[in-house]
Amino acid sequence: MLEHIAVVFTFSSLLTIAIGTTAGVAIGGMPGLTATMAVGLLVPFTYTMDPTAGLMLLGGIYCGAMYGGSIPAILLNTPGTPAAVATAIEGYPMSRKGHAGLALKVSVVASFVGGTFSVFILLMFAPLLARQALAFGPAETFLLALMGLAGIISIADENSSLIKALIAGLLGMIIAIVGTDDMSGSLRYTGGLIELIDGIDFMPALIGLFSMIQMLELAGMHQHEIDTSTLHKTQKREPLPKGIGKHIALGSGTGTVIGILPGEGATIAAFISYNLSKRISRAKELFGKGNPEGIAAAESGNNGCVGGSLVPTLTLGIPGNSVAAALMGAFIIQGMIPGPELFTEYADRTYPFILSLFVANGVFLLVGLGFAPYLARIALVPPALMVPVVGAFAVLGSYALNNAVFDVYLMIAFALGGLILKKLGYSLEALILGLILGPIAEGGFTQGMIIGKGSPWIFIESPIAKVMWVIIFLLLLPPLYSYYKNVHLGKEDPV
Amino acid sequence: MFKKSILAGIVVALGLTTTAAIAEYPSKPVTIIVPSKAGGSTDRTARLFTEVAEKNYDGFEFIIKNIPGSGGQKGFEAIARATPDGHTIGLVFTPQLVAHIVSGRAKYTLDSFHIMGNTAQDPAIVVVPKDSPIKSMADLAAAAKANALTVAVNGIGSDDFLAAKSFESATGVTFNLLPTKGSTEQKAAILGGHVDAAFMNLSQMIKQHQAGDARIIALLTEERDEHLPDMPTAKEQGYEVFMRATRGFVAPAGIDEAIQTRLDTMLAEVMATDEFQEKAKTGSIFLLPMTGPDYLAYLKDLMAQTKAVYDKAPW
Repeated sequence: MLEHIAVVFTFSSLLTIAIGTTAGVAIGGMPGLTATMAVGLLVPFTYTMDPTAGLMLLGGIYCGAMYGGSIPAILLNTPGTPAAVATAIEGYPMSRKGHAGLALKVSVVASFVGGTFSVFILLMFAPLLARQALAFGPAETFLLALMGLAGIISIADENSSLIKALIAGLLGMIIAIVGTDDMSGSLRYTGGLIELIDGIDFMPALIGLFSMIQMLELAGMHQHEIDTSTLHKTQKREPLPKGIGKHIALGSGTGTVIGILPGEGATIAAFISYNLSKRISRAKELFGKGNPEGIAAAESGNNGCVGGSLVPTLTLGIPGNSVAAALMGAFIIQGMIPGPELFTEYADRTYPFILSLFVANGVFLLVGLGFAPYLARIALVPPALMVPVVGAFAVLGSYALNNAVFDVYLMIAFALGGLILKKLGYSLEALILGLILGPIAEGGFTQGMIIGKGSPWIFIESPIAKVMWVIIFLLLLPPLYSYYKNVHLGKEDPV
Repeated sequence: MFKKSILAGIVVALGLTTTAAIAEYPSKPVTIIVPSKAGGSTDRTARLFTEVAEKNYDGFEFIIKNIPGSGGQKGFEAIARATPDGHTIGLVFTPQLVAHIVSGRAKYTLDSFHIMGNTAQDPAIVVVPKDSPIKSMADLAAAAKANALTVAVNGIGSDDFLAAKSFESATGVTFNLLPTKGSTEQKAAILGGHVDAAFMNLSQMIKQHQAGDARIIALLTEERDEHLPDMPTAKEQGYEVFMRATRGFVAPAGIDEAIQTRLDTMLAEVMATDEFQEKAKTGSIFLLPMTGPDYLAYLKDLMAQTKAVYDKAPW
């Protein structure tokens, strides 16, 4: 192990990791640029590099991008990745109150802890955990998506309109129906457009619903109403809120576990962590109005996915998400086919790579803490400058996703439609959650039904499924109870 | 008057391009359209080609343009629509290229392309979980007759799907087919024992087979494969089921003949270099060089087979 550590702590390795991570933070922070895209595009370039250095560069990008998505989410309410949507729910209100510096600090510390914890688990228990994760089949994937969708209730009781949040979530799932039905190969509502055969990509939706709408709203404001009084005090360094450790620990654990499971993990992990942390919080009523606990849970959750997703990727060749899949391409191109050989024959490359992820987490911690006071000032940039710059990135980013102009139109359509929905009080967070998790739930459900040969029993049969049902009920019952109480005891009208 | 001069200009321009075309070719970087995501196996094949070609051919520069989606259809359409001036070529993969034509979804036909030649292949395989009682194709057929087996294939209309359908019609069994999104889900289903069998590609499962995490029971190619020489084919086991994925280069139809010949020759020469073969081996790309005419014949044949399956059970 010592010689592996020595490989990481050479000047060139450290520089590579630092470059990768810093670039990752920037990529994660820009609307439309995703870690998947960055890693995918860089894989061919690492081909000519020293294999270990190439992998370190990509690992740094992965870690950095996962954290980077939270910066614009907090400052501008424009999450750079879907996994940062939950962060925006708490982070942006904090910025508006002038606590942007603190929100950024909580986010970077939580990301660091979640990321480091998950890499530690990867280093110590990868083969063992990967075997366990295999028991998780399509039926359990369906339940995981349900757990994520339970987050809609959580978003709702903040905006205090359960019905509208549910409608928005449903709308998201309905939009997700468009495209090829994977089970029969038939086309659903594509209207003969080849662009719709794959369905509606959630990235243009994310950019339209958040980045673009935020810019439209900024442009429509008479006065840039941000409380700047406390911003100048950030130099004094606000300490981390008390009791935040509990939420970071919760998010780190949840994120790592969900990351290990196959499927698009980070978004689900962030929302489930956020939802769980709200359940255990003593200050539930502050959620949705700028509670750092929510940021802590969501960010430790999505960064926990980084190490987690690499567990099945490296040991079994089953990438935990799309970034891990792109990263796997980089391993294969170097002749390192995932499996036991990575830890024996190629140990001199694999272990330094895993160890480099610790360094990458450290790098973004330093970057984040060091730049937080300056980054916080981004929120002060006048709309006349902000709106065109972010707008241009939104258009470019949408195009760059698939080199398709159609995605730009899609993004604009989501911005216009979303703006109307937002003004009518429908939750866009619920909509995007439905859009992302709808297909995962559908795939898990239909595959589960096929494997169960038509019997729904498969969804409650396994021990894992039973535990998941308990968690789903625990997530759903308290908010429903309080909703019922409010409506029937007439405390307030929640609709 | 004005119209006339424009017309004259166009005529002159056209004349110039045909006569001077080869002399000035390439006048700009050649774009290679890759109908899948960056980092995947098709993408790696294209980048490997560009790396070796740029080194050996002065004046040639390549740009890879990834157009992923719809089982390659978006990218195939883009190649077919590209200006045939030799500055855009592309990669295609089978059986999706012909499956889209057969299912009536494609706007292109095989005539939309000039087929330059095949580069790589990936044999189809049948794989079962490591502790499965099924050890051969005969076991698979027997088990499928007794009980509907759940069998994972990578989406409807894919090579896996076609292979499974062709096994069904060869043996008269009916599988409980589980379509997945991508080979990753298939892998997880096999390694986790959630399905009874899967039709996949060799490169996706060879390491898992060698590590004992899954068991390949047959190759669906005419001959055995050098990467797994002990593995018998389905044909050896008495089942005439054949399927493989291929990845070849094509150009939009109608390119100036001299330019097209230059591109075709370059492809054949690059594939023959030691460097290309060496790097393909490291990157787990299984080479299967085929000339343009051979590959075209292969595609036509494959299209007829696919049509037979489609007519029986359309998707």
